[in-house]
Amino acid sequence: MRYSSLLGLTTVEHQTIPYHQIEPKINPKKSRWRRSRHKKVKLPLPEIFALWLPYCYTRILEQIKNVVPLAMYLLMFQIFILRQPINNAFSLTLGLVAVIIGLAIFMEGLHKGLMPFSTRIGDHLPQKVNILVVFIIIGILGVGVTFAEPAIGALQAFGASLDINKVPYLYEMLNNRVLLLVIFVGCGVGIAAILGTMRLIYGWSLKTMIYPTVGIVMALSIYVWWQPDLRSVLGLAWDCGAVTTGPVTVPLVLALGIGLSNATQHDGQSSLSGFGIVTMASLLPIIAVLLMAIWLSFTMTPEQIIAQASVHKSIALAPSLWSTTPFNEIIMGLRAIIPLVLFLLFVLLVIIRSTLVDRIETIYGLVLLAIGMCIFNIGLSYGLGAIGTQVGNNLSAAFMESSSLQQSPIYTASVGLFLVILFAFILGFGATIAEPALNALGHTVQNLTNGAFKKTMLMYSVAVGVAIGMSLGIVKLIFNFNLLALLLPLYMLGVGFTIFSSEEFVNVAWDSAGVTTGPVTVPLVLAMGLGLGDAISLLEGFGILSLASICPIISVLFMGLYIQFKEKLSANIESHMHLVTQR
Amino acid sequence: MADRNITYLTNVNLITCVLQSNSAESVLEIAKHAGVQGATITYAQGTGIRERMGLTGMAIDKHKEVVRMIVSEEQTEHVFESLYLAGELDKPGNGIMFVTALEKIATYIPKNVLKKLSKA
Repeated sequence: MRYSSLLGLTTVEHQTIPYHQIEPKINPKKSRWRRSRHKKVKLPLPEIFALWLPYCYTRILEQIKNVVPLAMYLLMFQIFILRQPINNAFSLTLGLVAVIIGLAIFMEGLHKGLMPFSTRIGDHLPQKVNILVVFIIIGILGVGVTFAEPAIGALQAFGASLDINKVPYLYEMLNNRVLLLVIFVGCGVGIAAILGTMRLIYGWSLKTMIYPTVGIVMALSIYVWWQPDLRSVLGLAWDCGAVTTGPVTVPLVLALGIGLSNATQHDGQSSLSGFGIVTMASLLPIIAVLLMAIWLSFTMTPEQIIAQASVHKSIALAPSLWSTTPFNEIIMGLRAIIPLVLFLLFVLLVIIRSTLVDRIETIYGLVLLAIGMCIFNIGLSYGLGAIGTQVGNNLSAAFMESSSLQQSPIYTASVGLFLVILFAFILGFGATIAEPALNALGHTVQNLTNGAFKKTMLMYSVAVGVAIGMSLGIVKLIFNFNLLALLLPLYMLGVGFTIFSSEEFVNVAWDSAGVTTGPVTVPLVLAMGLGLGDAISLLEGFGILSLASICPIISVLFMGLYIQFKEKLSANIESHMHLVTQR
Repeated sequence: MADRNITYLTNVNLITCVLQSNSAESVLEIAKHAGVQGATITYAQGTGIRERMGLTGMAIDKHKEVVRMIVSEEQTEHVFESLYLAGELDKPGNGIMFVTALEKIATYIPKNVLKKLSKA
């Protein structure tokens, strides 16, 4: 009798069979010269089910955790604080389900299909071609990943609500030239990826890269600000920086960049090697969009745009089959994925002359990527976008009279305003703290600083930064503040802090801005801003995201400086004590 | 160096579990309850029947976590079964585990423990 059954702990029935009984038979005479063929394994249906159920369950649960709390928070606020019923509750729910399932499929596709690609290319590319070609490939890849970024669809989805007569250039960029806009943003990301990789390879300091970049961004912004017609583009441009640093761009470009720097650099690897690309990828798209707006202003006058749009309107009275709901989203989804995949395949098969490692898995991943993108796009407009717009529309009713609601204002002006700002603060804080990427960053930072900068400390300072940024953004919209007047001093402060901070903290702080803007938060916040802007009859509602990305930079830098200061202080005291004891 | 000596421990087995990635932690929790002193986790990639299952095989992660732990012969059977149940190895795709007999192991043993043993 076995010991464990004596203890009465065993709950499993035992049975012993020799292994050769389930091993496939081989005929030694036949297979000596030929490799033995494995038969395809077929499982009975219930077992396939048992295999797939936990697989799907864990992936979907992960996205439910991302989407549901945020959406519930917005809806609860609308019901209990704003006391408004929820419109189209059914289509909203369906939209949210589409977002959850779409994201789950998309992320799985990303891990199975796209990531192995870029790691493989990053590992092998530098050995096969010279460094110039490598940089060109990285640049083109930057454009490709921007198309594949799920949040970028949010920009395309929300353009239609703008008033062409008041903001002609913004209307033109978001309606007729969305493709060009995304290409420009993509070019920004591409150049950022090149610069980031060069930094990794040649070991440049991020500080010296930040100063000129911020300088150019500021100069262009001020120029755009001086042009009254262009002024409205500013918010969009700055928000684009936040949109680009999502779940596709960051890991893909990072994988490539790190692979490259591993292959080219043989001496000791800096522990900071991953950082910097995200910073560049959130600053350079701003420059690209501003340049596009300026270029537009030289080629077209506002009158031309308005005239053209009225022509378009008369033609496009009957929408074709392809621009109706499921088809439009599917086409958008495919357009986002296929160019990137074709380019990666071209690089892998033609330039590196390598093969796919695991063909079935890669194809499976890529198919998932496309399907997930399509479903997510549908959910984007019917779920996230609709919720954001609805809540944004109703937000104004808390503190001022609104035409659509009878009993507005619900609260007195000051109480209502306070509630709305508090709402934005909690939204920013909650959405950031829940972001898994932030947790990972916090962990890295704690290791980097040998525990001086604690993980929770980083997470809280980033979250508080985002929360303050969101509140500022809402305040900006409500009082119709000048975006530049807010951004200029904030970035000056950021640069000022950067001068005094050590390189490690600069890397962490500037990268933390990009970490927080996931595919769920971006569309929600964008739609909310536009909805609020619409309700209080602003020209446009962009700008919240841009404020939500500079504020964490400042708060993290501030924390870093504080820690440096504290360490110096304690070191001083220690040396002082040392002197005293020596005496 | 008279004060340095080595104590061999015998009658031990090695239990190795190959699990789908991200499942080692929960299994280890059970292992601790079952009396395992410590474990080593390594990350690995596997290949096998998964490739022959076509689309169905996609549900299985090719990244694996290998958990190895040293267990006395006495407790082996009990721990092995607990881990089998904890890792849900009776369901398809979750992994494989095996026991290897170890000839001897050696590690640091606190002095007072040794003393107690030599007295007994």
